[in-house]
Amino acid sequence: MALFEIRSLRKQFNDHQVLKGVDLDVMEGEVKVVMGPSGCGKSTLLRCLNRLVEPCAGSIRFRGEEVTGSGVNVRALRQQIGFLFQQFALYRHLTVLDNTTLALRKLKGMKKQDAAERALHELDRLDMAGHAHKHPAHLSGGQKQRVALARALAMDPAVILLDEPTSALDPVMAREVAQLIRKLHSERVTMLCVTHDVEFASAIAERVTFLNQGLVQAEERLCVLQNNHEHPAIREFFMTEKRTP
Amino acid sequence: MRFSETLLQLSSGVGYTALVTVTCCATALAVGLFTAAIRRVFPLPGIVRVIDLFTFVFRSVPVLVLLFLVYFGLPEAGIRISPLVAMMCSLGIIAGAYLCEVFRGALDAVDATEIMAAQAMGLSRRQVFVHIELPQMLRFSVPGMVNEFTNVLKYSPFAYTVGIPEITKQALALSAATLHGVEIYLATGILYFLVYRLLLVGVRQLEHRFQVPGIGAAHLQEQSI
Ligand SMILES: Nc1ncnc2c1ncn2[C@@H]1O[C@H](COP(=O)(O)OP(=O)(O)O)[C@@H](O)[C@H]1O
Ligand SMILES: [Mg+2]
Repeated sequence: MALFEIRSLRKQFNDHQVLKGVDLDVMEGEVKVVMGPSGCGKSTLLRCLNRLVEPCAGSIRFRGEEVTGSGVNVRALRQQIGFLFQQFALYRHLTVLDNTTLALRKLKGMKKQDAAERALHELDRLDMAGHAHKHPAHLSGGQKQRVALARALAMDPAVILLDEPTSALDPVMAREVAQLIRKLHSERVTMLCVTHDVEFASAIAERVTFLNQGLVQAEERLCVLQNNHEHPAIREFFMTEKRTP
Repeated sequence: MRFSETLLQLSSGVGYTALVTVTCCATALAVGLFTAAIRRVFPLPGIVRVIDLFTFVFRSVPVLVLLFLVYFGLPEAGIRISPLVAMMCSLGIIAGAYLCEVFRGALDAVDATEIMAAQAMGLSRRQVFVHIELPQMLRFSVPGMVNEFTNVLKYSPFAYTVGIPEITKQALALSAATLHGVEIYLATGILYFLVYRLLLVGVRQLEHRFQVPGIGAAHLQEQSI
């Protein structure tokens, strides 16, 4: 079953058209990867899905229900959608544990004790329980991203959206994150991940959706896209991506 | 008269100086927090304009002018206020206007992605402010707040003009009676310095209590190592 059905999604900022009619499905239990050059609208696409950005036109169905337009309970929608940022976005004034319990306490109304138990369970799952009382400033990039993932997972979301989760990480840490995503995939966590890290993409999915100039240009196996593709934009993307280490 | 006696006589005003300073600082905090919060959480053009006008006007009025306006002007409109309230309504509100600006700058320093992450979780605008922006803003604001509280202390002598017997008032009375001006004002300076130290110790303790790695002075120290 499709968790997200995106049809003809359009978004423009002032008169700058960023998304020009995107069609995309995200199936339950799937890890969907979207690639594309910088500025092609990847972040905008993800942010439309939880209404951090208001789409201009088109339709987004989440579990069969339309989530664009007024009359939608946006906050309830967001609670079902985990979101990971390139810059981790951990709350710097809170410990790892408090980062993970905040939404549980304020949105799910859990007691401090129960929320902590729940959070520690998720942190343990990602090997971060030992760092529960540290502040973000004392963590490495890879550890921060794992905390961000635990924070999202604690809310038991239907899907996690990942916006270039590895581009602020060194290759070793990026591989670690890829490994975690594979693990979560095996536990049937649905994920939609945008990235322009080819190694990372190949580590977490076989098929890749290529977004360019606000349109889905191809949806194919990564090796097909990489191999002298007929489309010049795709060819160019993978050529430059290969050259940069 | 010995210097220690002079100090002792003047110190009867310390309590009033502390009272004026603390109540005016509290007023300033309340005004600054309220205006900065409203401006941040409800950034409608009308609200922003009113608050910006408020901070602009009150930062440009001299404390003494506003104090006299409030203390001698309001009774003419039928509103009687005590000298302390007059101080809060003048010095307190002016300091509040400055604090509003301090808080505004601190709010701009809060990482936009953290705010977005909090919104993406489903927190309401108010919850994002209370749990993410406010705690960081207060920590970022410490230097600016210390500055403003110090200013309040230094303007507190105006309280004597409306009849509050604080340190400066005692000094004036004493020097008129004894003609030992230099000695007396030296003692006055020392007392203000002590009150200032006390204020600073208080602030530092609060700062230490809420200190977090990655924000503020500790952060800079770590980086410079
Ligand atoms: N809030 C915004 N206001 C105006 N323009 C924006 C905004 N957000 C993104 N854009 C523009 O939209 C385009 C796509 O941005 P983005 O979705 O961040 O691309 P990507 O994530 O693929 O690099 C860029 O040209 C960017 O400048
Ligand atoms: Mg982006």
